Amino acid sequence: MPKLIIDQRSIEVPAGTKVIAAAEKLGIMIPRFCYHPGLGSFGACRMCAVKFLEGPVKGIEMSCMEDARDGMVVSTTDPEAMEFRQYVIEWLMMHHPLDCPVCDEGGHCLLQDETVSGGHGRRRYLGHKRTYHDQYLGVFVQHEMNRCIHCWRCRNFYQGFAGYRDYGAMQIGNRMYFGRYEDGPLESPFAGNIIDLCPTGVLTDKPCRFVGRRWDFERAPSLCLHCSLGCNTTGSARYRQMWRQEGRFNEMVNGYFICDRGRYGFAYESHPERPRRARVAGLEVAWAEAIQTAAEKLSQIAATAGPAAVACLGSARSSLETQATLQRFCRALGWSEPRYFSVPSQERQVKAAIARLEAPLAVSLREIETADFVLVVGADPVNEAPMLALALRQAWLKGGAVAVLDPRPVFLPFEFEHLPLAPGDLEAALEALTAGAGGTDLLAGGSPWPLLPKIAALGRRLTQTQRPVIVCGTGIVRESTPGLAADLVLRLREAGLNAGLFYLLPGANAFGAGLLSPAGEGLTPLMEDLETGAVKALMVVENDPFWDYPDRGRLVRALDKLELLVALDYLPSPTVQRADIVFPTLTLFERNHSSFVNQEGRLQLAPPVHLGGMPMAQISPEKHPPRTFLSHIPGGEPRTPGEILAELAAAMPAPVTLPGDDLWDWLSRKNPVFANIVSLFESPPGARLIPEAVPAGTFSPAAAPAAAERPPDYLELLLVDLIFGTEELASYSKHIQPAEEPPRLRMHPADAAKLRLSSGDRVALRLLGGTLEVDLQVAENMAPGVLVLPRHRQLNWRLAPDYRVMVAYGDIVKVEA
Amino acid sequence: MFEEVLFKNRRPDRPATLDEYRQSGGYEALIEAVKQRTPDEVRQLVTDSGLRGRGGAGFPTGRKWGFIPADAGFPRYVVPNTDEMEPGTFKDRVLVNIDPHLVIEGIILSGYAVRAQTGFFFIRPSYELDAQLIEREVEVARQAGFLGNNILGSEFSFELVVHRSAGRYICGEATAQVNAIQGNRAHPMKDRHMASDGLWHRPTIVNNAETLACVPHILRQGAEWFKGLARTKTGAGTKLYCVSGKVNQPGCYELPIGTPLREIIEGSAGGMMPGSELKAVMPGGASTAYMPAKYYDVEMDFDPLKAVGHRLGTAAIMVFDQNTCLVAATLNLMEYFARESCGYCTPCREGLPYIRDLLWRIEAGEGREEFIPMLQQMARHMDSSYCAFAPGAAESVLGLLKYFLDEIREHISQKKCPFAEAYRPHRKLWYPAE
Repeated sequence: MPKLIIDQRSIEVPAGTKVIAAAEKLGIMIPRFCYHPGLGSFGACRMCAVKFLEGPVKGIEMSCMEDARDGMVVSTTDPEAMEFRQYVIEWLMMHHPLDCPVCDEGGHCLLQDETVSGGHGRRRYLGHKRTYHDQYLGVFVQHEMNRCIHCWRCRNFYQGFAGYRDYGAMQIGNRMYFGRYEDGPLESPFAGNIIDLCPTGVLTDKPCRFVGRRWDFERAPSLCLHCSLGCNTTGSARYRQMWRQEGRFNEMVNGYFICDRGRYGFAYESHPERPRRARVAGLEVAWAEAIQTAAEKLSQIAATAGPAAVACLGSARSSLETQATLQRFCRALGWSEPRYFSVPSQERQVKAAIARLEAPLAVSLREIETADFVLVVGADPVNEAPMLALALRQAWLKGGAVAVLDPRPVFLPFEFEHLPLAPGDLEAALEALTAGAGGTDLLAGGSPWPLLPKIAALGRRLTQTQRPVIVCGTGIVRESTPGLAADLVLRLREAGLNAGLFYLLPGANAFGAGLLSPAGEGLTPLMEDLETGAVKALMVVENDPFWDYPDRGRLVRALDKLELLVALDYLPSPTVQRADIVFPTLTLFERNHSSFVNQEGRLQLAPPVHLGGMPMAQISPEKHPPRTFLSHIPGGEPRTPGEILAELAAAMPAPVTLPGDDLWDWLSRKNPVFANIVSLFESPPGARLIPEAVPAGTFSPAAAPAAAERPPDYLELLLVDLIFGTEELASYSKHIQPAEEPPRLRMHPADAAKLRLSSGDRVALRLLGGTLEVDLQVAENMAPGVLVLPRHRQLNWRLAPDYRVMVAYGDIVKVEA
Repeated sequence: MFEEVLFKNRRPDRPATLDEYRQSGGYEALIEAVKQRTPDEVRQLVTDSGLRGRGGAGFPTGRKWGFIPADAGFPRYVVPNTDEMEPGTFKDRVLVNIDPHLVIEGIILSGYAVRAQTGFFFIRPSYELDAQLIEREVEVARQAGFLGNNILGSEFSFELVVHRSAGRYICGEATAQVNAIQGNRAHPMKDRHMASDGLWHRPTIVNNAETLACVPHILRQGAEWFKGLARTKTGAGTKLYCVSGKVNQPGCYELPIGTPLREIIEGSAGGMMPGSELKAVMPGGASTAYMPAKYYDVEMDFDPLKAVGHRLGTAAIMVFDQNTCLVAATLNLMEYFARESCGYCTPCREGLPYIRDLLWRIEAGEGREEFIPMLQQMARHMDSSYCAFAPGAAESVLGLLKYFLDEIREHISQKKCPFAEAYRPHRKLWYPAE
């Protein structure tokens, strides 16, 4: 560990640390523009010049380019270095417009700070200022090129870190231009990060344009709920409304960056139709009245039809507090156990994954970046868990290899090996890989499976690595696939590799929902209970079966049988619209602390960003604060589900008290993993809720690997995620909606040829519940025998009995114009 | 009379053919090398010869080749650099046009010495005819068996590809050149060591064409002979001096390295033009400082020039007379450098246009006394830029300030260019907005 002296203070840092980072550890903030800890050193801006007085380097050098070495004596305040830095600022300010008063970056602008702190106040340059053409870069990023100081951060992120090519540096000298070849939306779904990275106001947040200064906002750390990774964000709210989310550093999860879905998905919070008042039979009523009515009706049904006739449906997007309180509430009232998934196969997949995720195996998102081989099974990272794609790219940049086994036309922003296997073949492939890792010669049996040699080659490469990670999705795979992925990891560990396991789950808190769901087969599927009439009253807590249940017709028929539907939610969902009684709840941004467990079992806390209430813009057309003052917050009625459930319990004819403060104790009595929780304020990366047990695998003897049987003349319909348009919360966001791509059905050319279809055709899919019309896109890089259909907001795809259905050739017909 | 080495086959009308080159001993070095010498012996001979890079920096060629780690992998690349964009320098073009096979043989030998498989002949796109000439002669050399697989029946295989530059000064910088060949944006990479991490992260050696043209001669006639060619003790070989400016016979002349400036100007270059007195020279192209007339007798070699605080650079001697305004000359150069900056780092991208702006104001009679310390500080701070481009660009400014400060002050006090009658620049600052 090199030891060096910076400004008369000595510090010891790990080898490879740059001097600028070592100084930061001492609390010395050396000015910088191009250097960013998430991107590395580039030496372009020359702002971090310091003087090296003693040691292996002498003179004025850039602190971001020099590794800390023994014997270095560094002065950051040397007059020579200061004079140079003053010139750098002067040079940068030669052409920078003095439009800070109307610039969105003003107030949190690195250039502003360093210009002021460097003492550059008067412009000496007598020439003209350079001007540029600003480009339209899509709905997320505002471009103001005149302000550019050419620090390269945006390009270094966009092309280097994220691997997209449509934005970059053009021209040379002081005509250099950062932008696209022509106006147009940025292609990368990670483009929003260049807003955070830009040290001045060139790239600003478009939805948050002209809304406020940094100090006008209420700001707090928050979490992203738009996939299961649990990326950390900082939320900014003003006028009772969320305006902006930025990436927040978490060394174990997302690093510095987030995806655009996470950045702009928040606007469901201020959806104009969001339920704000309690409703009974469609009419807004006083809160107490709604509580009274709900308590009466629920207890009445419980009394007449038995407590088991009242069921509750929690969700995978609720906080752990909400999920746990719901369970406690049901138990206290003697009702049947709450379910958390409306789709039973999802519940089984989640539980299968959670059951196998034990501490020695689990890797975090950031640990994936250090893997030398990542095998992605049944997952489409960019669309299902976008930041995973960037983590995989970092592993690839460090020399690791990535292979994807997935039927979809997977795109990743780097070179990877894609074996397009049908979902049914994924298991066979995993079994083959496990057998191969155990020493079986896969090719010995002479299997007719044409892809087997490729899988065997993959297996050989896998066993030659040191730190492989298996990523397993739960979206399109069979229910036993997560377990097979865990088996493979265990086999690799037996072979002496430091193998890791990484699951993707459906929902921000699917892990919590899985932990609380009953083990084993679980309860009868909710839909059956509704259809048989076993359940007569249903309370839906922050869930919308209309969103993810695959058979809309069956759902409607089942709900029609209900005597009472109570909905607690913050979304204006179809469930809320048809509920008899509605209680509005709070989002994670408002007034309450909520915790979420991400897909690797990491419990993270989201403190409130603001107090909630009706956004100012929805009360008055101006964004001005109100001129009349009230004793309450307008639209401030929503409460947390926990509060609502406690009120309901207390309002029952036989009142029950739900203690609010011992939830964690109650949970840890239930499941020992909850006992490990330390204060999340003390542990910024969160706490892992996974058992420490030493995992053991039971390997079934390897059957001869072969492709799964498939009925001829049928295609398997896969209902998949897209980055924009299929995720529930973000689909209610007005910022995300314009970025959605129109949904397309995708098909392998071989299948298209058999069906005499081609790209651009309008295709009618005849499914059990009706006919769906969608545009077709033929994709080479996908598995034959499958149809890939996004569960898109703009598409009425809920026509199938299950997530997995076979569609006969005859049911796929071209619609003539 | 000194016998020319590199220009031995100089003809008034056309380049030497393969046969003519071979009659003068061409390709003997290669034949001998692949049959009798190991690559390490070739490298050692070049090291012993004291050959220093002719592209401007003067780095010992043998040492550069030796930087490739012993355990470095394959493939390896050599990049003969003919991206000649230094103002005042045209020696590589002349050399290629006189004896293309001399350069090609040098390239193949350098490839042999570092066990490279491919060479990228990186040539300035303005030299299109020369690129075509090289392409043609490479084919001739291939037909003759000097290029391709198993050259002359040996284990050594080598291909040479002519790669036209994108036409920017910075593409001549070795690391930027690597980026340019790969199709990336051509900016330098100071954190990469070309000898182990060059083209496609493979060992890569970038050499100037003139440097490589010396190699066949060294191999044929020995290191001691090569050293003996020089007029100085520390120098080795001959040098192509490009003389331009106020002399009677501007041109490219091959002379023993270390020939005194006076002899070059008064001998080969035919002396100063009638009515012209020597005021200053730029000894090594546009990125070296002005050298006043008091150094008229300095030996034009790396070390003697260094001893008097100057650089040999590319040995492109630009001669200025008493009627030339050096502020205008410097402004002219700064316009060039400000235009050619790659834009990667701040001092170069913004500082050079700033200096250009100050010089323009001085030249236009709008100068102020406070510009002088600003010029001094900024030119000095160019040393802290990313690559060697900006320090080189600032050399002319530093030279102007060091030797011709009075001339700047005259501009400022007279509020006009004192040479206005003799020399009137019709120039205007370039702004992107206009």
